[in-house]
Order: sequence, then C-alpha cells, then structure tokens
Amino acid sequence: MKIATRLLLLFVLVSVLPLALFSYFNLQGDEATLRAETMERLSGLADKKVVQIRSYLGEREREVSIRARGPEVMGAAITMQKAYAAGWRNAAYAVEDAGMHRYFARYVEETGLFYDVFLITPQGEIIYTQKHEADFATNLLAGPYRETQLAWAFRAARMTLEPVISGYEQYAPSQSPALFIAAPIMVDGQFKGVFAVQLGNELFYRVATDATGLGLSGEVAFAKRDGDGVLYTLPLRYRPDAAMKFRVAQQESTLVQMFAAVSGESGAGERTDYRGKPIVAAWRYLSELDWGMMVKMDADEVFVPVNQQRTLLLEVLLGLLLLAGLIAYYFGRQISVPLEMLAQTADEMADGDLGKRADVSAPGELGLFARAFNRMAGKLHESYRTLEERIEQRTSELNASNEELQQEVVEREMIEQSLQQSSDRITTLMNSVVEGIYGVDKQGNCTFINIAGVRLLGYQEEGELLGRHMHDLIHHTRPDGSHYPSAECRLYRCLQTRENVHVDDEWFWRKDGSSFPVDYWSRPTMLDGEWGAVVTFFDITERKVINDKMRVAAATFETHEGILITDAQANIVRVNRAFEEITGYSAGEVLGRNPRMLSSGRQSKEFYAEMWRALLEEGGWSGEILDRRKNGEIYPKWLTISAVKNEQGKVTEYVAIFSDITARKRAEEEIRSLAFFDALTGLPNRRFLLDRFHLALSQSARSHHCGALLFLDMDKFKILNDTQGHDYGDLMLIEVGRRIRECVRETDTVARLGGDEFVVLFEEIGANMQEASKKIALIAEKVRAVLSEPYALKGYEFRSSPSIGVSMYRGNAESVDILMKQADMAMYQAKDAGRNAVRFFDPLMQQAVEARAELETDLRGALHNHELQLHYQIQMDSDSRPIGAEALIRWMHPRRGMVPPLQFIPVAEESALILDIGHWVFEDACRQLAEWQQDEQMCHLVLAVNVSAHQFRLRDFVERLEAVIARYDIVPAHLKLELTESVVLGDVADVVVKMHALKALGVRLSLDDFGTGYSSLAYLKQLPLDQIKIDQSFVRDVITDPNDAVMVKAIIDMAQNFRLNVIAEGVETEAQLAFLKQNGCMAYQGYLFSKPVPVGEFEALARRLFE
Amino acid sequence: MKRSPNGGRVNLVLSAMLAAVLLYFLWLFFGHIETKPNIKIGVLHSLTGTMAASETPLVDAVRLAVEEANQSGGIDGAQIEMIVADCRSDANYCAQQAEKLITQDKVQALFGCWTSACRKALKPVVEKHHHLLFYPVQYEGFEQSPDIIYTGAAPNQQIIPMVAWALQNHGKRAYLIGSDYIFPRTANRIVKKLLQAQGGQAVAEHYVPLGEQKLDAVVRDIAAKHPDFVVNTLNGDSNQYFFSALKKAGIRATDIPVFSTSIAEAELLAMGPDLMTGHYAGWNYFQSVDSDENREFIARFRHRFGQDKVLDDPMEAAYVGVRLWVNALREAETLDMTTLKILLGQQTLAAPEGIVAIDAATRHLWKQVRIARARADGQFDIVWQSGRSMAPAPFPFFIPYEERIAITGGAP
Repeated sequence: MKIATRLLLLFVLVSVLPLALFSYFNLQGDEATLRAETMERLSGLADKKVVQIRSYLGEREREVSIRARGPEVMGAAITMQKAYAAGWRNAAYAVEDAGMHRYFARYVEETGLFYDVFLITPQGEIIYTQKHEADFATNLLAGPYRETQLAWAFRAARMTLEPVISGYEQYAPSQSPALFIAAPIMVDGQFKGVFAVQLGNELFYRVATDATGLGLSGEVAFAKRDGDGVLYTLPLRYRPDAAMKFRVAQQESTLVQMFAAVSGESGAGERTDYRGKPIVAAWRYLSELDWGMMVKMDADEVFVPVNQQRTLLLEVLLGLLLLAGLIAYYFGRQISVPLEMLAQTADEMADGDLGKRADVSAPGELGLFARAFNRMAGKLHESYRTLEERIEQRTSELNASNEELQQEVVEREMIEQSLQQSSDRITTLMNSVVEGIYGVDKQGNCTFINIAGVRLLGYQEEGELLGRHMHDLIHHTRPDGSHYPSAECRLYRCLQTRENVHVDDEWFWRKDGSSFPVDYWSRPTMLDGEWGAVVTFFDITERKVINDKMRVAAATFETHEGILITDAQANIVRVNRAFEEITGYSAGEVLGRNPRMLSSGRQSKEFYAEMWRALLEEGGWSGEILDRRKNGEIYPKWLTISAVKNEQGKVTEYVAIFSDITARKRAEEEIRSLAFFDALTGLPNRRFLLDRFHLALSQSARSHHCGALLFLDMDKFKILNDTQGHDYGDLMLIEVGRRIRECVRETDTVARLGGDEFVVLFEEIGANMQEASKKIALIAEKVRAVLSEPYALKGYEFRSSPSIGVSMYRGNAESVDILMKQADMAMYQAKDAGRNAVRFFDPLMQQAVEARAELETDLRGALHNHELQLHYQIQMDSDSRPIGAEALIRWMHPRRGMVPPLQFIPVAEESALILDIGHWVFEDACRQLAEWQQDEQMCHLVLAVNVSAHQFRLRDFVERLEAVIARYDIVPAHLKLELTESVVLGDVADVVVKMHALKALGVRLSLDDFGTGYSSLAYLKQLPLDQIKIDQSFVRDVITDPNDAVMVKAIIDMAQNFRLNVIAEGVETEAQLAFLKQNGCMAYQGYLFSKPVPVGEFEALARRLFE
Repeated sequence: MKRSPNGGRVNLVLSAMLAAVLLYFLWLFFGHIETKPNIKIGVLHSLTGTMAASETPLVDAVRLAVEEANQSGGIDGAQIEMIVADCRSDANYCAQQAEKLITQDKVQALFGCWTSACRKALKPVVEKHHHLLFYPVQYEGFEQSPDIIYTGAAPNQQIIPMVAWALQNHGKRAYLIGSDYIFPRTANRIVKKLLQAQGGQAVAEHYVPLGEQKLDAVVRDIAAKHPDFVVNTLNGDSNQYFFSALKKAGIRATDIPVFSTSIAEAELLAMGPDLMTGHYAGWNYFQSVDSDENREFIARFRHRFGQDKVLDDPMEAAYVGVRLWVNALREAETLDMTTLKILLGQQTLAAPEGIVAIDAATRHLWKQVRIARARADGQFDIVWQSGRSMAPAPFPFFIPYEERIAITGGAP
C-alpha cells in the first residue's frame, strides 16, 4: 500500500471515526430523550383527556340525576302515566305532552347537550319523548327496540336503581349512533319509572376528539371492542367516515395498542396506526363508555428535530472526511514524491549517468537521506573525475549554491506574500461576520475586535477598545443590576480552565450605558505565545422577544374554557372560540375594547379594586365573578387572570381564562345543602365547620386577628335520652342550638358535631390576644348561663348545664386538628371541674393530659412485664405481736423508678385498668396467703387487701373472688377486704347484698379511711363489717390537736358499741400508740413498727417479732 | 521487514493501555448497577380463629400477585416483600398489627381484612397515618375513605341487582335471614328499601348469632310463611346448618330459592356442594367466568398452589388489588404516597372478572355484576350478568339522604 494511502486511512481512523461515533451516540441520546419526553407528554394529555371526557359525562349524569329527582319529572312520572294509560292520542295526554315539551325545550334544543329526552314506565313503556321519533310508545322489554342501548340503560337503572351511562351504538329511531344516560325516578320510596336522555352527538364529538396540544398531525381516536377486533366509534381525522363503520380485526398488527386499550390496559409507545404510518401514541381505557382511547401524533412530526440533526451531522462528517483525506494525501505526497524521484535518480545512475543527482530540497529525514545518497554518489563519481572536472565541478557547485540562494530568496518572498494575503483574508473574514469577535489577553484586555463587535457595543472604531479591560468596560453589571466583579466573570473562566465557555443569560453594556442580552462563546487561544481568549458574541434581544411571544402562544388557546387576552392597557387583543360561545360576542365585536363591557354590574367597586390589586401586586387573580352575556343573561363564571410579564418584570399582556359554572353552581348548591348541614338542628355539620375553620385560619394568618373555638356538650343529656326517649333529646338539641345562636354574632359559626356536642367558631375578634380572650370569656359565660336555664320539652321540664372548653388561635400556626383537640381537652377539664363551667385551654393542661396518657400506656405494660409487686406493712396488737399485714401495691417502673400508688391508681381507675390490676392483686395476695398457711408461724396472719370501687361494682365480683380463694385453697377468714367509704356508697341494696355474700364466703370486711367520708351511722349499721380502720389523718395529730383526739375517741366508742374491731393506721410515735391503747384501740399499723416492705423483708420481720 | 529494537516494548505499552481502557469501560458499565432495597407491604388476614378458613386463601392470592410482579422486574428493579400478620379473627388486634406494620415495619401499603368490623377498626389507623389499605370483600356500603381502595363490591354491584333479579324472576315475597352483625343488618336495611321501591314485601326478617348452628326453627318459619325467595346474608359455618335444615325440611331450590351474598366457591366446597345445588349467589367473579384472562389466572394460581385449588371472588379481588397497586407504583416512579394515590385513581386493568377501573371519586372499583346458580360439582352457572363494568355507588342513589343517616346511625 502506498504511504499516501496508508496515511489517508490512518487520518480517517484517528480523527473522523471517533468524532463520527461520538456524534452518533450523542444523537441517539437526544433521540431517546425526545422520545421519552414525547411519551410523557402524550401520557399527560391522555390522562387529561380521560378526565375531560369523564367530567363531561359525569356532569351530564348529575344533571340527569337531579332532574330525575326534580318535581317536574317526578310529577310527570305519575300524571303522564295516567294520561298515557288512557290513550296517548287523547286530549289529556296532549296537555301533559305540551307541558313537558315546553319544560324541556330549552334544555334539549338550545344547549345541544342533549338530543332527546325519555320518560319510561317501570314496565318499559316509553310514554314521553321530546322528538317523537319511532321509539315513542314502544316497550323496551318487549318492543322492537329491546336490544338497543336505551333498553340496556333502562334495565340497568331498574336493576340497580342507580343512574347509568349506556354503551354507544347505532340507534335506529334516530338513524345515528347514540349514547343514553338513565336515572330511576323514585317517588315516596317507590320506583316509578326511568328518566333518560340521549346525548347530543355533535357536542360530545367535539369534547372527545378535541386534539389541542397534539401538534399538526395529532388526533384522538376512540374504539370499542367488537368480537376479536375493535370498531372505531367516532370519526377519525384521516377517515371521517370511520364512526361505527371502520372495524379492524385482531390479527392486524396496527391493532395492538387499541386492542390493549379496549381490554382495560393503558400504556404508551411507538406503533403504526390505521393508515400504516408510524406514530407515537398513549392509550387509555374509559370505564364510563367501555371504550379504548388513543392519543397520538405522527412519528415524522415528533422526530423532525432529530432528523434535521442527523442530516446536518452527515453533511459535516462528509466535509470532514474530505478535508482529512486531502490533508493526508498532501502529506503523503510530500513523503512519497521525493522518494520516487530518488529512486528514479538511482535508476538513471545505474544506467550510467553518473552525473545525475537527487533533489535534496525535501524536508527532514528525506532531505538527509537524499544528501547522503548524493554524497555517496559524489564519492563514487569522484574517483572517475579528472582535476579539471573537479574544478568544473567546484564551479558548478558554486553555481548551484548561488541558484539555491536565489531560490530561497524567491521562496521567502512568496511566503511573505501569502502571509500577507492570509492576514488580509482573516481581517476581511472577521469584518464580514455579523457576530462580534474580540480577543483578550490573559489580563483581560482587548487585543483585537472586529467591526461588528465595535458596532454591537455602540463604539465608533476599534481604537476605543483596544487595550481596554473588556469586562470592566462592557460586562460590569449583571442583568439584575448588581455589580459583576471581574473575578467572577464567566467569560474569563476559560483562561483558567482552558475550556470553551458558552453563556446565553448575561448582558453586555454599550458605550451609551444601555445593555442587551447576549449569547457568547469564549474560547482559550494561544496568541503570540501567550494564552488569551477569543470571544464571539451576538445580541439576542430579538430571540428573547420571540421566546416571550412563544410562551404566550404555547398556552393551549383553543380549549373549552374561554380565553381573553388584553394588552397592558387592558384592551382586548385576542379571544378564543370558547369565549365567543360563552359570552355570545364574536371576536370582531370585542377586539380593541375593554373587558369591562362583559361585566354584569352586580359586582361592587371594591371587588374590582381588589382584583386589580391582586393583579398588580401578585400578578394574578382568580375567583368567581358574575358576568353578562350578549343576550343580557347574567351568569357565574370561574375566572383566572394572569399578568404576562417580560424579563424586566413589566406587564405586557393580561390573560383571562374562564369557564361558565352555571350548572356546577346549581349542583353545588344542592350538594352543599345536603352535605353541610345537620338535618336535626339545621346547623352546619362537622364538614362545614372544618371547611370554615380552614378558611378562618388562613384568613387569620392574613389579618393577624385572633379567633376562638368553643366546644361544648350538655351534661346529663344521655340521661334525658335514656329516660324520656329520643324525641325529647332531639327537642332539647334543637333548643340548645337556638339558644347558642342567640348569644353569638351572625358571622360566627355554630355547628353540631353529633350527639350533644356543639362547636362555635368565632372569627376576627381583634388583634390583641388578651382582649380577645376576655371577650370570648364573656360570651362563653353568657352561653353557659343561657344553656343552664331550664328546658321546657313538651311540658316536661328538664335542667341541664353545659361544659365549655375554649381554645384561642391567631394565624395558622396550629392545625385545625390540634385546635379542635385543645378545645376538646379544655371541655373535659371543665367537666372534671364539676361541669357547668368554662375552661380555656392552656398548654399545662395538655402536658398533664399527655403525661397521664403516657402513664396509662406504661401501666398497661406494667402488668405484662411484672413491674407491679405487693409490699406488706405489718399490723400489731396491743401486746406487740404481729396479727397481720396490709398488702400495698408498688410499681417499679423501669425508667421512673418507684411510682407512688397515689399517682397511678387514679389513672388506672379512669381506664378500667383498675380491674385487671385489682384482679392481679387478689391473685398475688391469695398466692402469698396460701404460701403462709403452710408455715407454722405465718399461718396466723390475716392479710388485708384493698378493693377499688370499680372492682366491687362488678356484677360477678363475689364469684370471681370465690374462684380465686378456691384456686389457692386458702382459709377465707385470713383474707380481709378493706373497703373505702366510696366503695360502700352507691346502690345501697346491691352493696349490702354483696357484703353479705362476702361474709358468707367467710372473708372479713374492714372499712378503710373511716371518718373521712360522709357515710351516716345508720347506713354503716346495715353493713356486716368486722373492723373499722381509723384514718391516719386523725392519728397523725391525735396528740397535738384536741379535735382529732375527740374524734378518735368517738370512733373507738362507736366501734365498741357496734361490737366492731378497731385498727389505727399511720401510727408513728410511742405517744400516739399510748393514746390509742389507753382509749381501747387494740390494733395498729404504721411506721413505728415498719414501713411497707417486700415479702422477704416482711417475713424476716414477722419471724423476729414472733420470737 | 526488520523490527526496530524497541518495537516490542512499544507493543507492550500499547496493549497495556488498551487493556486499561477496556477495564475503564467495564467499570463504567457495571458501576451503575446497584441493588435496590425491597419495598414492603403488609398483609393482614386471620390465619387462626373463626375467619381463618375464608381468609387464608386470600394470602395466597396476594402472594401470587406479588410473585408475578417480582418476576416481571419488580418495581423499577426493587423486589416486593410481603409481611403477613395474623389477625386472629380479632378486629382490635388487627388494628394493632396495622399500626405496627405502618410505624415499625414501614410498609408501603396494607392488604387485608374480611369482615366489616375489621375494616372499621383499621380505618382510623390507616387514616391517621394517611396510609393505604386495599379491602377485598363485598360489603354494605356507606363508607368511603381517601386512604382505602375497596376492591370488593358496593351494594349496587351485588345485593341490589341480586334482589332485583329475584323480584323479577321469582315473585314479590322475600324472607330475610342473616347473621347478627353490621353487614347483614345494614344490607337488609337496603334490601327492605329496595323491596319497598320495587313493590316487593319482606315477610320476615330474622337474625342469628355468628356461628349459630340451630336453624331448624327458622327453617320451620320459612316453610310456614312460604316466601317466594330467601335473601341470605348468613356468614360462616351457619350456612351449612341452614342449608342442611332446609334439606331436612324438604324445601327444594325449585320451591323457595335462596339468594346468598356470602357463599362463594370456597365456602361451597367446604360445606359440600350438593346442599346448595340450584340455589343462587351474587358476586362479581365466579371461577366459571368464561374469558382468557380468567383461564390464565386459574392456571397460574393452580400451577403455584396446587391443581386442586378453588378460586372465588374475594381471592380475585385481593389479587386485583395488588395488581392495581403495582401498576400505579410503576407508573409513579416514586414511593410518595400522595402521588401514588392520585395515580391509583387512574388505574384500569384487564382482570379475571373483566375490566376493572378504580373510580377516583369513591375509591371503589367499576365491576361486572353476576348472578349464578350453584351446580352439583361446586361451580356456578351464571344466569345473569351486567355485560359491562358498573360504576360503584357506595351510597345508594335511591335511598334519600335522610334515610341514609338513619341507616348508618348518623355517620355517613
């Protein structure tokens, strides 16, 4: 292979191939990104489309449901049926028919939403249609149209008593495809027929096939399943006659995606469509219609950018290939031509021409080689030469060297000339481009600049710029007006990194101080042996402007929402088709005018002022507004106005988007009244309140005004309900609601949460929290007083009072949930405080509640984890002998250490845990007692166990105890139950019966804490007690307080009179012991003898005392 | 050609560089593969206690869907891991387990419950954490939660059309019998309204405790009143005793057909199919549904769990729930619950029962409705079907708002 060829290949391999590969992968990457983005966009559009169709059908279905419940249709179901039964050609029917026709005329003929209306009897007889087509007076169960979708809808509505949407099929009486919506007519809970409508196809097509956002080639296609294929249901863009006619069988490959869609699957991908053209598509299943839907665009259109790029790349590569080939060929020739000449010379010499010499002008090694060749040839020649020849040779050599010199001079001149030419060319080139080009040295000073650059920067000639520091001159300030230090200049960054820099979001400043957005490249360049940079830039003001415009245009303009665009002075510049449909004005009538012309005049000046304020300050406004149509009709619409701003933040356009919400408003009203009010009292319900409360919180965040939430419930309400029945309860609730309403302002929200729980929400009660609290306190007190007045309920007088909790708020720092909880908590605090009270929430309250909740959780675990144990405190007789012990519960908490019973017993009592704990205590005490009964010394001891009121009130308390005693087989007489007065107070009969039952078991009974309660002696006398325990509060001061001394004496006397045993607890000093002994109390318990101790210690102590 | 003296060394250096470049590319390629952590789901069914027989097969249905998802690439490469908790037929215990699965195990979704009591206990837990529950069994309606997807039937998708069909085909006099708990009582309130609406009449309404075995007295009453048909909302073992008693009393399906809401293939197999032959049940799915999707579903299930296995409606609904969840999660490309819930509202699926779609507003499914007559071989012959998926209506349209409140005790 020739050297030139090899070099050529090498060049191509080294320079062009990697470039080609790199570009190829890059292009692949771009294509993949574009593909992914397109899929995403199409999927998004498909989802939007589904929602659009669903909401369109949903709205129609709601309209039908509401009409089916309306008095006109319900009435007609009865009267028409009668008239029809008498013969529909009769006058009676004609009157009915005319009435109905008038009623539905506007509904059907003007809106285009519906094509026809039907009234069907429960037996399937069509007794009314608006259009009087062939289906009128036929039967849908037996008649000619029993296989139609109308018949299906009728049967489904009859079967489920729900509104239904039918399938879409050719409907013979209308000679077109049709979709029906049917709803059952219920009169007094009886099924009286079906109200059905036939959807207007035109409008439905428009909604369904609207291809906004799908480019030039996009379309939305619909099909339904048809055996093993699909049938296109609506006209296709490229086959307008396709509706209900164009069927594709499953085996055809173009079907795959549509078949997936009608089978209930969704997805996106690249496929071919019914024309066989490659497309990009997303497909969905529409459950309302049982249809598949495909949103698609031609792949050609989607991939235009990539294809363009591919062509460009190919062209560039070809150019590079050609260039590289030429260069390689040139260098190859440089090497191969001298070699060929050398070979020729050698050949000629070999042929005898010894005078022949090689050309030595070739550069580098080839020159050396030629010279060496020549020397060798010279040496060879020399030996054949004579002296003259030598002289001649010298002469000729001199000549030759002269010529060489001359040649060199000529060559140098040529080089200089070509250098001058190329420099001129560069200058011409630089000055002919429209981009500015300038060079900077490493200090950032200008080394050269082309004419375009000078002009763009607003200078006259390059001299003004040469040598100046370019950053400080033209690049000193950022677009936002802040100073741009040259140390941060991105343009200079290439001087350090030696990498090209491209920036398109900065500004250059002209000589006259104005500025322009710029797109520049800065490339590191070696100039005169030093690194500098060459900067290419151009003004992109125009590009920005175009981008701005594009943004506006890109907003989907032709939607179902009306769009109106004005310039900054609020003159209408553009409207869309929906605008014309909704307002009735054509574009020509409104262009150039102020949107004020649309206003209804029903809105206040302040309303518009607020709208403009929002527009100017926040750049947008949205809300409901009443406007007037061209025909004078006033209608509500939902309006969103946005200000379009340019980069300087100046408003260039206002875009207003709105939709007609007449129908929605009507439906909303209905739903609101259903969903937001309590049926009994007519007050707002929880949902309404929460809604309102959310609003109130955000309102408060804006106004910084305080608000308050008041929770209340009525004490004893349950009793009223239980004793007098729900009628009375309901009356009372109505009365409560009425009384609360009278105490509060019109603007305050009074709601009923359910049961007897009411909530009042006060808004805007001033900016000062303290004053607001005072106000609320006054109002709450008023409410409390009013609600405490007696209630006259159907002649029955009932007294009750509220417990009221209040939480205050300002701003939306606390959530609705938390504030409700706080008020609730405060209400329970009020209850705890004895009811008929008002309490404000304070954080300490919350802490206490939380601490209590935590304790309760731990306590539940405590039983499981064996953290509870019994300690025993010894009881002595007057001879200092142990007679028994009291079992006292202790809780060893793994974190808190020992928790005193006073802390956790009340918690347990509230949560019914006390039952579990009490049961455990019995078990453990009896187990211990059983153990002691095996012991010679300990078997004499009587063990006292405390019983809680909850436990005692259990229906099967006695049976349970009996079971435990039996299980451990203990002598019952050694078990003593200590009952507090709170235990024995209550249902007297029940208490007495239970205590006798306990006595019958053989268990002993002791009355604990005697003297602290209110039990009367007469009552005590009925109880079969064995013992009375003198409370430690009396014992403590028996020496120092004469009152207590008298009290103790009295108790002991009384006990002796009743023949009851007496024991004193809390005995701590010898003096107390002496006093008790002297007055006849013969048993004692207290720290004087021992504190409560674990069982081991207790046994040791008892044994010591026995000996 | 002679080689230059250092040609060998140059070649060595070149090979070394080439090898280095290759290694670099290998590193680039494999360096990007990483293993993702598993995505956990909680499955809450009773594996012990009175509901165990009904609920255990549902765990298999969920397992099948999970395994299929994992075999087809998981969720963007991550595998789904099932954590199965035994609810012990105790609603409150089940709620505790749900709390634990959410807070400790950090599951992404819960699948479970059978009885309405269980669902009512779980609802506050799931809602408190804004979590996600898939509930697979037909129920009494009057409920809707942003955090629950109900894949079983709403009243208008089972009991209402079933009773309407009975009224059209068998006569106007209905006898209502059910177990004594929330579902039968609420369902019968709806049924009574329906009877009133369609000109029917409830000749008697009778409840027995769950698990009641002595049904002879009720059957005697049925024989005495001789209704046109019976609406049976009995649940669990009582059904077997009920149908035995009917048989003993000589009441045949042709005399007084019984329409049941809670007897599917599994229950039929358990009590012996001949007891119920000729009587009716209403469901969305029967094993005998004739479609490719169903045949493949049955084949896959039996391949995995044994050829003798029977499939029924709640199993299919449990399976469909997981499939919907997996599809939505794959689409979401994130574990963010809010995104997932929005996407769930857009899911449709070619399910064994036919096409199902989640109704974004009610969080229930569009489902086919089917009524079928029991055969002697334990399968059902479908006698009526809606033909296409029906929209779910958890709050029946034909019951006026005030009466709904009365039915649900003031809590709509």
